[in-house]
Amino acid sequence: MANIKEIRDRISSIEDTMKITNAMYMISSNKLRKARKRLEETEPYFFGVQNMINRTLRHIDLEMEDVFLETHSDIPFMSRKKGYVVITDDKGLAGAYNHNVLKLAEDHIKSNNDNDDWKLYVIGELGRQYFISKGMNIDETFRYTAQNPTMSRSRKITASVLDDYMEHKIDEVYVVYTTMKNSMTCEAQITKLLPLDMLQKIKDIKLPDDVYREEFYLEPSPQAVIDNIVPNYVNGFFYGAMVEAYCSVQNSRMMAMDAANKSAQEMIGDLRLQYNRQRQAMITQEITEVAGGARALKQLKKKK
Amino acid sequence: MATLFRLQVMSINGVFFDGRVNAVIIPAIDGDREIMAHHEEMVIAVYNGEMRIQTEDGNWRRAVVGIGSAQVANNRVTILVDTCERPEDIDLRRAQEALEDAKEKMRQKKSIREYKMSQAAMARALSRIKSASRYDHM
Repeated sequence: MANIKEIRDRISSIEDTMKITNAMYMISSNKLRKARKRLEETEPYFFGVQNMINRTLRHIDLEMEDVFLETHSDIPFMSRKKGYVVITDDKGLAGAYNHNVLKLAEDHIKSNNDNDDWKLYVIGELGRQYFISKGMNIDETFRYTAQNPTMSRSRKITASVLDDYMEHKIDEVYVVYTTMKNSMTCEAQITKLLPLDMLQKIKDIKLPDDVYREEFYLEPSPQAVIDNIVPNYVNGFFYGAMVEAYCSVQNSRMMAMDAANKSAQEMIGDLRLQYNRQRQAMITQEITEVAGGARALKQLKKKK
Repeated sequence: MATLFRLQVMSINGVFFDGRVNAVIIPAIDGDREIMAHHEEMVIAVYNGEMRIQTEDGNWRRAVVGIGSAQVANNRVTILVDTCERPEDIDLRRAQEALEDAKEKMRQKKSIREYKMSQAAMARALSRIKSASRYDHM
């Protein structure tokens, strides 16, 4: 059994760690509140853009030449060049948050690619380090932090991803990020962003020729409208995904810190108990020693 | 009294305007375009510039918008843009700095992507400055 001083040191060191985890808990909950507000603000825009794209696509000639109208259905799925935008955090200490995202991305890469021509765009230092250490195909010039997502950062991200897409360096764009299912659970998920999913759906529906379709004018030209709206949609999606991932990481960190606080309290409780037992044992021992000594002295006196 | 129609203006930062209006003027590629009630159904590409909204009481409200699109359908107008700000909210000095920055970047020989990025930044800064300085003089 450890001695009293060791136990006391242990308790104080746990208490110090608890101060840190407690502070981290409070910081995270504050950041989460702010991020959640921003997430709510982006939502109407996001749904609005989706509706508008859907509406526009229904009224244009889909055979028209435009990079955003290609579905790449001529290339077999397994050999399409896929681009993955993976959103991780810059730091750990957030439970399984980073691990879940990385695992999902890796699984998808392994099971959906025949060739080695996929490409990774990683947001967040932790994910970057992970993929570099594994020697995976990662865009080295793509360096962005996951902290405090801003519009200007998402604009830059959109520009670099769309650039590769328009030059046909990648055929498909996937986003791997974490969503908040409710205030308690976060879930890593993978979403295909480009080519637009609704495009294929609309192409699949064959309207009979004699059905009247309302007419829509697209000004100045259908291409200009599509070229204006799709990058906006992509930008909105990246921004939304980054904000949501940021929300999730704060939430995960909050829960991890809460668990750390609880187990620290439990440990301190156990150690206190041990400490008191030790102290009592010591006192008992001292009393026995004193009593024993006194008795020995008494006996010595009697003999005399 | 002119007929009213519903207008919604949304940007990534949130809903900018939602209500009934008399008319709205949006910046298109070939100049400003005014939309009034019962307009023909169409989608218009919106470019960097100044948007004006005439509200129910006849007052004009101004806003600086970024790239996006406007949809007219069933006597309802939905405008979705990259950014949307009131001229009085624009920090003129910051816009000025952004313009300098974009100019500087465009002068250096960069990749096409960076050139386009700075070009877009410059267009945003210019339309901000234009609206904000006009507001200052009023």
